[in-house]
Amino acid sequence: MKKLLAGSIFAFMLLILAACGGDDQAADEGNNGEPQDWEPEESIELVAPAGAGGGWDTTARMTAQTLTEEGIIDQDIGVVNKPGAGGAVGWAHIANQGDSPYDLFVSSSPLLLVPLNGQSDYNFEDFTPIANVIADYASFAVRDDAEWEDLNDLFDDMKEDPSEITVVGTSAPGSMDHIQFIRFAREAGVDISQISYVSDPDAGGVTQLLNGSADVFSTGVGQIVEQIRSEDIRALAVTSEERLEGEILSEIPTAKEQGIDETFVNWRGIFGPGDMDDAAVEYYEEKLKEMSETEAFADVRDNYGWDEMFMGSEEYQEFLEQENEVFKEILDELELSAE
Amino acid sequence: MGAIEGIITGFEVALSLEGILFVLLGVFVGTFIGMLPGLGPISAIAIMIPITYGMNPTLALVMMAGVYYGAVFGGSTSSILLNAPGISGTVASSFDGYPMAQNGQAGKALAIAAISSFIGGTISVILLMAFAPMLSSVAISFGPPAYFALMLLGLTAIASLSEGSTVKALISAVIGFMVATIGIDPQTGTARYTFGSTNLLDGIDFLIIALGLFAIAEVGYLIINRHKKSMTDAKQLGSLKLSKQDMKEIAGPSGRQSILGFVLGILPGAGATIASFISYISEKRLSKNPEKFGKGAVKGLAAPEASNNAATSGSFVPLLSLGIPGSGTTAVMLGAFLVLGVQPGPMLMGDNPDIFWGIIASMYIGNVFLLILNLPLIPYIARVLTVPRPLLISLVIVFSLIGVYAISFSTFDLYLLLAFGVIGFLMRMFAFPAPPFILAFILGGMMEQSFRQAMTSSNGDISIFFTNNISLVLIILSVLSFTFPIIKSMRQKKQEA
Repeated sequence: MKKLLAGSIFAFMLLILAACGGDDQAADEGNNGEPQDWEPEESIELVAPAGAGGGWDTTARMTAQTLTEEGIIDQDIGVVNKPGAGGAVGWAHIANQGDSPYDLFVSSSPLLLVPLNGQSDYNFEDFTPIANVIADYASFAVRDDAEWEDLNDLFDDMKEDPSEITVVGTSAPGSMDHIQFIRFAREAGVDISQISYVSDPDAGGVTQLLNGSADVFSTGVGQIVEQIRSEDIRALAVTSEERLEGEILSEIPTAKEQGIDETFVNWRGIFGPGDMDDAAVEYYEEKLKEMSETEAFADVRDNYGWDEMFMGSEEYQEFLEQENEVFKEILDELELSAE
Repeated sequence: MGAIEGIITGFEVALSLEGILFVLLGVFVGTFIGMLPGLGPISAIAIMIPITYGMNPTLALVMMAGVYYGAVFGGSTSSILLNAPGISGTVASSFDGYPMAQNGQAGKALAIAAISSFIGGTISVILLMAFAPMLSSVAISFGPPAYFALMLLGLTAIASLSEGSTVKALISAVIGFMVATIGIDPQTGTARYTFGSTNLLDGIDFLIIALGLFAIAEVGYLIINRHKKSMTDAKQLGSLKLSKQDMKEIAGPSGRQSILGFVLGILPGAGATIASFISYISEKRLSKNPEKFGKGAVKGLAAPEASNNAATSGSFVPLLSLGIPGSGTTAVMLGAFLVLGVQPGPMLMGDNPDIFWGIIASMYIGNVFLLILNLPLIPYIARVLTVPRPLLISLVIVFSLIGVYAISFSTFDLYLLLAFGVIGFLMRMFAFPAPPFILAFILGGMMEQSFRQAMTSSNGDISIFFTNNISLVLIILSVLSFTFPIIKSMRQKKQEA
């Protein structure tokens, strides 16, 4: 019995070790790259402020994998999941790391929206944007037999009576699924305060769309490709500037070509703590640019249906400020803003 | 490609040497992690995801599916032996499993759990294989009003779960409801009862409450009763062998509840928990000796075990054929698919028949492996109970802490666990039953959300619950289920009079 017990405890310790592995090794491998002002001297931690398997996690893991396998950064890069509160738990963790140049994290639009909703103590200004690496886009889908032919049809009906049409998303009002739809409805002149939006975190929006409980599903375009292919649902529009590439994706019209002058990008990039050293920012920015241009990362993008969208630190900062303004305006209008 | 060819392809994958090896590896890891108190399929899958990066997607997914149902299969062990459920689906298994183990029938309880899990797993795979292409329409048939009605039906179980005072059971359920409202409200985005703390924004995880109210509270109870004689007697493990009478008793509930569990498992969001609770109460209602339930009834253990395993196979329907994750566990499972570059959805069956049918076919083999792995281990596992109490109690505490920490790596959750342990202990001292609390907590959140989704889409018209056929039938069933015990007791009184 004791053996069995000891055995299972041992096996369990192994599991834990495996889960935390890859952090503390190779602290002093040679610095054989070209001379730089700053180079990492210990292993780097890349935090995905979400659980395993989601978009942030995949981005973090693929970034870490490409950076090490292509030999762009010699130090070990360990991906750590800090799930909770839509990212707020992970951000709080990073904010507590001071100015450590070894604690990076992945984030996207929720880094702006969650703090604006008052659900995170830290916002994008508390961190250093290093580089944006990829983008994906949102899409608005209806049942295949729905009456609306295009986005304008839908918005025309919504202008008459917004409350007749139910929009469904996975996340709560004020979060990405909701706001991305609102941006376009607002541009088209719909009274956005009257839009009836339900959130379905359990069963997901596709179910509600297919069984007729909701009329429009606002989601990431990658989430619905399969249902479009099987002709169960139709996408009225994609939120990108130009049509996307790919068999099904290229058939989805942009909102822009339907005369609604608005776009929405779900950008995803790498950030560091607030007071990060400029030299370190410059180092990572350059390395991430190098990574973004590799064949290996192009394959990763194709594999997950992401678009290339590289922005360096300064450009990223400006972009974030603009996006934050737009979100803030919308949330104020919807009276969802924290202030 | 027709379904028959698909099935053949599936078996080719599942019966290939690599296929068999990966199924074996998956179910072994799954069942092992599942057995540990506090750890369930979510932790098991999350631990395995990083390992699958770069693997052959078909084999990796066959393995991951094995981890998932393997963990559910093994999950009942800690419920039965230690009253420490690792997943919500096995809470109902502790109602009769734990008393059975305490009565010196640990071996028998584990054997019943393994056999009925096997029956549930196997029947549901047959159903899955036979009807998989048609079942996606079942998965989407439930709109918010129907979900609300289903939760209502589940709630009627509260009356059956209470021993003694109904008022105390109701108080316990109301507190469960209140705790379910903590966190960001998905319909408005408002934070409720979080007191400004980020730690509470996601609400309180089920596991914290289950381990607190059951495992930690039990530890407290054992400590204060350590000198009682009955406490030191629970060391016999009993015979593993099930009598013919036992097998007969298992057969009925396992068969029935496998089908019910499977159907409920198909519904995204309902899943194994609700299936196991509804199975438990329906068996109790059908039983001629309902008073034995909760004290170690064979049927009371067989029913939820068959049901939760069947529901696990059922949950593959929305996952594979619609790409919809119906629960926290299947959401992690969906993540595993996406990590491997496979997008589940309506086209999966046509585009990747090897993956779609391979996973289903591998479940037959997986279930057989699970039975073979679990049965011979039972005598060894059951001996956990012979560990001296002080040591066992400390182990339960340690594993509960690890299990909770593994959910979100937050120390705050550990304090919550201890707080719920104290609440559970006090409830026990004052004879407030814990099951209604946990049931109301599980159902309450979803019930509130589907109610409000339905009301939003009907613009506040309550008739939406009665114009929808499914919801109407379920509401009628709820009313019947609620009034049935009352009518029954009135009749009995009449007869006595």
